[in-house]
Amino acid sequence: MTLAETQALFHGLVTGEIPLEPPVLEQCFTGTTELPAIDRVAIYRNMYASRLVEALRETFLNLARFLGEERFAALGAAYVAEHPSEHHDVGCIGRRLAGFLRAHPDPERPDLADLAELEWARNEVFFAPGSAAVGDEALAEAGAKARLAFAPSLRVVVTAHDAAAVWKRIGAGEPVDPPAAGVSSVSVWRRGFDVVHCALSVEEASALRAAREGETLEVICEFFGAGPDAAAEAHAAISSWFAEGWISGVHRERAG
Amino acid sequence: MFQRLDLGHGIGLRAKHFARFLEERPPVDWVEVVTENFMADGGRPIAVLEKVRRDTPVVLHGVSLSIGSVDPISGTYLDDLERLVRRIEPAMVTDHLCWGSHRGRYVHDLLPLPYTEESLAHVAGRVAAVQDRLGRPILLENPSSYVAFRDSTLAEWEFLSELCARAGCGILLDVNNVFVSARNLGFDPISYLDGVDPEHVGQFHLAGHADKGRYLLDTHDAPVPLAVWDLYREALRRFGRVPSLVEWDDHIPPLEEVVAESRRAAAIEAEELAPALRRAS
Repeated sequence: MTLAETQALFHGLVTGEIPLEPPVLEQCFTGTTELPAIDRVAIYRNMYASRLVEALRETFLNLARFLGEERFAALGAAYVAEHPSEHHDVGCIGRRLAGFLRAHPDPERPDLADLAELEWARNEVFFAPGSAAVGDEALAEAGAKARLAFAPSLRVVVTAHDAAAVWKRIGAGEPVDPPAAGVSSVSVWRRGFDVVHCALSVEEASALRAAREGETLEVICEFFGAGPDAAAEAHAAISSWFAEGWISGVHRERAG
Repeated sequence: MFQRLDLGHGIGLRAKHFARFLEERPPVDWVEVVTENFMADGGRPIAVLEKVRRDTPVVLHGVSLSIGSVDPISGTYLDDLERLVRRIEPAMVTDHLCWGSHRGRYVHDLLPLPYTEESLAHVAGRVAAVQDRLGRPILLENPSSYVAFRDSTLAEWEFLSELCARAGCGILLDVNNVFVSARNLGFDPISYLDGVDPEHVGQFHLAGHADKGRYLLDTHDAPVPLAVWDLYREALRRFGRVPSLVEWDDHIPPLEEVVAESRRAAAIEAEELAPALRRAS
């Protein structure tokens, strides 16, 4: 066999795309009476599945806790069969898990996809590039036409269920409520090296989306409404963006 | 061309020990990290590594170069590796004599190669290309194996020796892997050591394994077994002072236990390489 033929066979046997059958195996591998070739190749096949499921478990800790050992292993095996790793970093194996759960929803827990999306965002934020934060004194000097630049580690996850509440309950070891549909926005960011997240109000989520799309402070503030407390709410929210280190720059209006 | 460094005794630095390592700076001469865990641009891992690097030599040990694969070498991987090497300036860059990807799909395992002339030419060419790209020699580690190939015409030690001669790379000799493969494939580990040219050996690895009855599994989840320490002694007698590393990747104990294993390696090295005492007449 050529090297290419050997690797095609071995890869197929390890991933399960080729069944473990002695006639095929014995063309390529040698074994002993004590440990035949089929059992030897099976060692690699077993390690393949367990290694990738373990990598998923490290990223989706609370999803794994919620499902339990057996259900999570079954989910992982089904997911890996449909989405084998295409990246040299095994930590990237889970990037399509939320989509997989949306395509194959658990009838009783359709919110699992949202939980997976939140945990994947937390994973991305952990490894995202850092940036120098700007203090809110820059806000005081900025005009209404100023625009904000955001830290590359900030993520906003928009889900169909309250994933943050489910995540918190699982982490605390508390019973999880039945899923309740309702759009939820969660910001995920790094505080030092710790990843944190919080649910956003509808107004703040809209304002933050507009700000990240490059709208001016003036436009961003409009998302907080026109009520008597709107200006104070806008100021409090935007100030908190600075305090949490989400803002990496303030671009003032250019002089005409 | 590869040349052995005099680094002393190190440990594999894992995320679990980041905080204590930075606080306590335990008595280790160098650390090894898994390359792929530090390729991301930001976050805690790379920040910790940069701090450690300020006063401790770092070795980058890869698991996904897939040097033996018939796939083209991943350009993304090489870009990431080159960027990390420039950033950290490691004492050594190492990976495994294995393959782990096929048609762009990674199995995240260290699959062995058939040891043939075709494999040798293929791997030697790729090692040369990687070394050209990085501007430095690399070291390749002998894998733990559970299968042997009908087509193999060379022993693993012959393959590695010839690879070093052709490509100018070095050998990261994993003593535990020699022991595990010897038991699984039925060869004599001493013959393995005898078949390796000392000039090619740039590093030793030491680790634990699990006895599964019909075979040994390379688990890195336990102390170095006595039989592996004995083989380490044999390696020291043949290869002399070689930078040695204790790996522990699963069921990782407190930092001091990993450090104690490294100190044990240093004590064994001192014992084996000390000049013979002369009795005064």
